[in-house]
Amino acid sequence: MGESAEMKEQIAELLKGIDRYNPENLPALESYVETQAIENTYDLEANLAVLKLYQFNPTFFQTSVTGQILLKALMNMPHTDFVLCKALIDTVRLEEETLYPILYIANQLETCQFREFWTFLEQNPGIIIGISGFVEAIKKFVCHVINITYQTIHIDLLTSLLGNISDEEVKEFMRRHGWKRFAGGEIFIANQEENVKTKNIKENINFDSVAGIMASS
Amino acid sequence: MWRESDDYGDQYDVYRYYGNTYDAPVDSRQDFDQQYQNKTFIMPDVIKNFLIYFHKCITEQNVYEIQNAYENGFNNLTERFFKNSPWPEAEIVAPVVQNDTLFLILYKELYYRHVYARVQTGPTIEQRFESYYNYCSLFNYILYPEGPVTLELPNQWMWDIIDEFVYQFQSFVQYRCKLGKKTVEEIDTLRSNSKVWNVHSVLNVLHSLVDKSRINEQLKVYSKGGDPDSVAGEFGRLSLYKMLGYFSLVGLLRLHSLLGDYYQALKVLENVNFNKKDMYSRVPACQVTTYYYVGFVYMMMRRYQDAIRTFSTILLYNQRTKHIIQSRTYLYDQIKKQNDQMYTLLAICLTLHPMRIDESVASVLREKSYSEKMIKMQKCDRSEFETSFAFGCPKFLSPVPPNYEAPPGSNFHKEAYLQQLNVFLDEVMQQQSLPVIRSYLKLYTTLPVSKLAAFMQEDGLHTQLMCFKHKMKNMVWTEGAGGLDGQFLSSSEVDFYVDKDMIHIADTKVARRYGDFFIRQIHKFEELSRTLKLIPSKK
Repeated sequence: MGESAEMKEQIAELLKGIDRYNPENLPALESYVETQAIENTYDLEANLAVLKLYQFNPTFFQTSVTGQILLKALMNMPHTDFVLCKALIDTVRLEEETLYPILYIANQLETCQFREFWTFLEQNPGIIIGISGFVEAIKKFVCHVINITYQTIHIDLLTSLLGNISDEEVKEFMRRHGWKRFAGGEIFIANQEENVKTKNIKENINFDSVAGIMASS
Repeated sequence: MWRESDDYGDQYDVYRYYGNTYDAPVDSRQDFDQQYQNKTFIMPDVIKNFLIYFHKCITEQNVYEIQNAYENGFNNLTERFFKNSPWPEAEIVAPVVQNDTLFLILYKELYYRHVYARVQTGPTIEQRFESYYNYCSLFNYILYPEGPVTLELPNQWMWDIIDEFVYQFQSFVQYRCKLGKKTVEEIDTLRSNSKVWNVHSVLNVLHSLVDKSRINEQLKVYSKGGDPDSVAGEFGRLSLYKMLGYFSLVGLLRLHSLLGDYYQALKVLENVNFNKKDMYSRVPACQVTTYYYVGFVYMMMRRYQDAIRTFSTILLYNQRTKHIIQSRTYLYDQIKKQNDQMYTLLAICLTLHPMRIDESVASVLREKSYSEKMIKMQKCDRSEFETSFAFGCPKFLSPVPPNYEAPPGSNFHKEAYLQQLNVFLDEVMQQQSLPVIRSYLKLYTTLPVSKLAAFMQEDGLHTQLMCFKHKMKNMVWTEGAGGLDGQFLSSSEVDFYVDKDMIHIADTKVARRYGDFFIRQIHKFEELSRTLKLIPSKK
């Protein structure tokens, strides 16, 4: 972990000012992407710098590195990192054989078609080879969506959304998120009445907006 | 003929701009053929006198008079004499102003800007190159010296310089990509002058101005209530460097947005608190540009609430300052176009993320031209989203030259746009079932999932409900300088949660706003009473 933090600092040095566009830094940045994939760490800024260098120097483009960057971005959902990456990649490249499936699963995840996503991943396990912690990160995102959507959810639905996980794993998630099991196969997620209630928008007048008047009177 | 002095075979040469010292591209023309010059032009006295006067103001550093000559004098004479034709060549002007190099550089800045804006045929390839070299000379003059130069220019002009520099780059890239109508010679010229209007040199100029002015350090201190001059250094203390530095940040925001680098676009403004009015926000055109690009970037990042806040703030500001802007026609046209673009983008954001906005901005969106668009978009009309995006978006650029070997007649200027359009439409299509769900939810306080599924003739509605929640929970800026940070909030008009098989819906009720109205009235009366006091009383 200490090593990784040190690396992050060194990389940040390479990205300062105009140096961000220096293609001589590309090998170091590309191997840093690899490190992130193996060690399950994440540095969006460095990854975007790689894509930027590919954009400026198309001949240096590497599909595999781009794929890793996109998968890492998915692991950081619900943040919209994936969109930020996609906006820097040439449309033609995105249609390449290696990248297309990643875009496909990104679309499934963004539209919350979790069951379809797990099925697809089961059939195409090759996509995420070399990306440690990918499945866990996606499950974490699924839990996030469940947490904001449900007050109680049926256990069968819950298990399927998380990729037909075992009872053991269900228990682990319940412990981690503070979910409780009710009779009749329902799982209590959280009390949403607190978060989701009819809003009454009243006017707030802040100090800044009246400061001018008060000063002049 | 155009020629590069450097050996083009050395591929790393293109990157020689790296490093901390400013190493500007060299003007390497050797036998420049001045064939297109019209030496027979006889300058009317009124123009001659104006130039002499303008030169005097700059030499004497009378900023007030420079501003007057810049904003009124130059524009008035343009209307009278040069509506669609270029101003006299710098070579003709030179003897009038004692061959003052600095004045001639500044004059050429105006000259080429006017060619870009007014001359019907647009700039020729030579003029594009010439203008680029002129910017190089200007920035070399400002950035090269060991000590700061003693030049002061009005803020408006400094903003225009940076804005125009980025604009001409944008224009050049678009021009370069349209190979269709180019002659073989023109393509050859482009190919052999790959350093002119190169994206690296443009970035380098803007970064150098930022570094030299220490504007980021200044803004950091300023936001903490300190004195920016304490960290400004000998350059940044001067208004020339300070403001060029600040405007370059906005230039970078724009440039990064044009290249689809949305993260970096916001990141360059990390020290700017653009939610606060301050000394850096006195140039209206700069304000509008900043908000336009920030708003657009937020929209692309699916931060709709931030986008809506950004657009509404500046549109409201424009509404209130309309009377000031209208008096300056050259500003008005530009701001009007950007205004329409922002209303269109705001309409997109509000379709995707309905929420309450300021009443006077909302009333414009209720006008037919916008409300029709919004109704279509609510029905998820893909082509309407596309049309609105095309109108509202900036001119995206590809940073690399097109394939000059492509078959004759090929055009590449649309590729960057199509790339960003795809990113946007993918996002919109992911949200296509949300407006329908929203319209049903609005009618109920509780609704069984099965009933909604029957309405929508859809199985697996849980997926759509989760998608709704996911897409409506946006990162939202909460406080501090910079626009990147924030927290996840959902504040769309309709919200809900699912309890087993029942959807519980929360609506939004809005109370009337009075405070804002009163504040505005108080300001108005104060203004009135100030004016009254100024009128000399009759005794």
